[in-house]
Amino acid sequence: MSEQTSGAPTGTWSYRPGSWFGVFGAATTLLLPASEKARVAALWSQIDDGAGFDDVLDALLQSGLGVLPGFVLIGTGGGPTKILVRGASVTATVTAAGTTTELDGSTVTTWVERTLPDVTALSVVVDGSDPEADDLPIHGGLVRVGRVDQPPYAALAAQPEPEVPAAPEEAAAAPLDALSAPYEEPHGEPLGEPGASVPGVPEPPATELLDLADPLADPLADPLADPPADPPADPPAEPSPLDDDGDTTDMGTPSSPPGLPPIPPAPVPPPVPPAWPGSTPPPPPPFAPPLDAPTVPPGLPPHPPFPPVAEPEPAPGAPEAVDHDGMTRIGVDAGEFARPLPGIPGQPMAEGVGRSVARLVISHGESVDVDRVVLVGRAPEARRFTSTDQPRLVTVPSPLQEISSTHVEIRPGSGADHGSAVVTDMGSTNGTVLVQPGLAPEELKPGIAVQLIPGAIINLGDGVTIQVTHP
Amino acid sequence: MTGVELHHGAATDVGRVRQVNEDAFLVAPPVFVVADGMGGHDRGDVASRIVVEEFGRLADRGYDPARGPEVIAETLLQAQARIAAYDDHQRAGGARDFAAGTTAVVALLIEQPTQWSTEPKWLLANLGDSRIYRLNDGVLEQVSVDHSVVQELVEAGVITRDDAAVHPERHIITRALGGRGRADADFFVLPLSGAERLMLCSDGVSGMIDDTLIAEILARTSDPRDAADQVVAAAVAAGGRDNATAVVVDVVGLAADRPYDSDAQRVSLEQKLGALP
Repeated sequence: MSEQTSGAPTGTWSYRPGSWFGVFGAATTLLLPASEKARVAALWSQIDDGAGFDDVLDALLQSGLGVLPGFVLIGTGGGPTKILVRGASVTATVTAAGTTTELDGSTVTTWVERTLPDVTALSVVVDGSDPEADDLPIHGGLVRVGRVDQPPYAALAAQPEPEVPAAPEEAAAAPLDALSAPYEEPHGEPLGEPGASVPGVPEPPATELLDLADPLADPLADPLADPPADPPADPPAEPSPLDDDGDTTDMGTPSSPPGLPPIPPAPVPPPVPPAWPGSTPPPPPPFAPPLDAPTVPPGLPPHPPFPPVAEPEPAPGAPEAVDHDGMTRIGVDAGEFARPLPGIPGQPMAEGVGRSVARLVISHGESVDVDRVVLVGRAPEARRFTSTDQPRLVTVPSPLQEISSTHVEIRPGSGADHGSAVVTDMGSTNGTVLVQPGLAPEELKPGIAVQLIPGAIINLGDGVTIQVTHP
Repeated sequence: MTGVELHHGAATDVGRVRQVNEDAFLVAPPVFVVADGMGGHDRGDVASRIVVEEFGRLADRGYDPARGPEVIAETLLQAQARIAAYDDHQRAGGARDFAAGTTAVVALLIEQPTQWSTEPKWLLANLGDSRIYRLNDGVLEQVSVDHSVVQELVEAGVITRDDAAVHPERHIITRALGGRGRADADFFVLPLSGAERLMLCSDGVSGMIDDTLIAEILARTSDPRDAADQVVAAAVAAGGRDNATAVVVDVVGLAADRPYDSDAQRVSLEQKLGALP
């Protein structure tokens, strides 16, 4: 999981709220039906990490095609645009090199595949979404969608009238440049800056005006297999006191596990498209303002990647009275979430536990290799580690209780400190003094790592010192 | 585990709303588990029971106390595989998209003997939003960190811990056994001296009563069996909207104000039942 690749899509899409899930990544865009929530969660982190078309397809088909009622997978990461379409009432309209192609997923038993160079406009309709609904821009993330467009539909609508009916060839030239530029997303820049444009960033493969005809034609031509009832139907149903104790009358309904066919009254699925913070500035549900802030958590160190925060967004006006207890369910895959490593957040483990970078000789005689995180204290505790990075706990005597229970951490350094050990005071009560060869003694600041030179002596108090030697 | 005497108590209640108790717990010293099954249609009760059975088997056959995290990870994997097999079976029977799931919190004793120390420690593992608390010197602390959307929001500084308790998305967890999501647990090691009393509970407890009340009950109740009963009773009294389960474990000899020994625990059960005067 690398922060460089996460969430830096090459182009902006617009989406229209609906029942499907849309995952927008740097190189691929994936649409899955509402029943595939668990799958979406698993694939989201991959796609957000910039996984390529083939990788996503592999993961998508891992459990077989039969269990997958429908999907749309679009690969835009360099080279020609690849599009796969499967499922009833799933249609894609692609304009490439001036020719408009319609792909219909309902007519095939596996999927429709097209590989098209120079795609200039792309529009996918997956359910009978409300044609009146607003199109919202998205740069990357996971939302509920009914249709998606690239370039954004909203941008299109804003174009001057005469542009619209123009033949695709003509349209390709003029408005394209104007359109595409603002939607470039600077690599690694914070999301939510649609206007930010960076010259020199590779052009997204598909950015062009789209044929205005299809937004109108598609929903109508659609068999409307998926009635657009969901969004409007839910909110009125929720406040009903019946839902509150739905369990008693209808066992299991409120649990609404991922993947079940829709159970209409379940208050869980938000009727309004969930929004990734920062990815869709315009629609501000109740939680939007605070959500925007953490996309670039100021206090958080650059590694691990910032948390993708909430999905799905609660519906605006979702009745607070609805009780959500007892409806535990699995939500998004939190693979991206910052996992505070044992000890100091923000100091990633050095690669590969195993090679010792230093040896600690503790004054009571014990000697410990720094081949992993070492926690030293009167009664040290280790927090939130994985089954493979268990820290070494070293208990030292402290008859006067001058030493804190978890006093200092010593770990293999990373980055500039690679190859040597670093020591960090864990917020000890009485502090830690470090004496490095040739340097004046220094008091460690809690939470600040200091590189250790062989020969250094760490004084914990109560007569306990740790001598740092070569491994 | 040599030289460590544990007293324990456990209680579970279906609550006032649900019809099925999907929680399961295991009390098999030195292994303790609480699992909270999810998905009524999808038989969360089976998923949680599978977890408990796997850890029960672990407790029966014993484990290498020096390999604690690996042992737990392997056991969780076995449970995961069984749940997946159960899902497949159900799907083959026509239940499309069947996906049972469960949380798990585990506490077991480990030893990492060195020349300098042989003291056993608590190894705790957490997957989902069931919780492990510890009580030390009358102070309650939540040790496990929920794998939930609201917890991530709290850590990101978006909402406060108080907001989290009423957040509409608080029931969405980000890791669990079963399904296709992440199933890797977070681990914690505590010295026994740092955890006079542990409580493992499902969110039917922690979601119904706040930490202050939990702390008060755990601090005032010396017998772990009473403590578990009272915590669960309080959760039910507070509304009982979910299955509520609590397992309370004391390390004997650490708490100064709990004077009884293991004989006392055995005797007191008979006293409680009225078999002894």
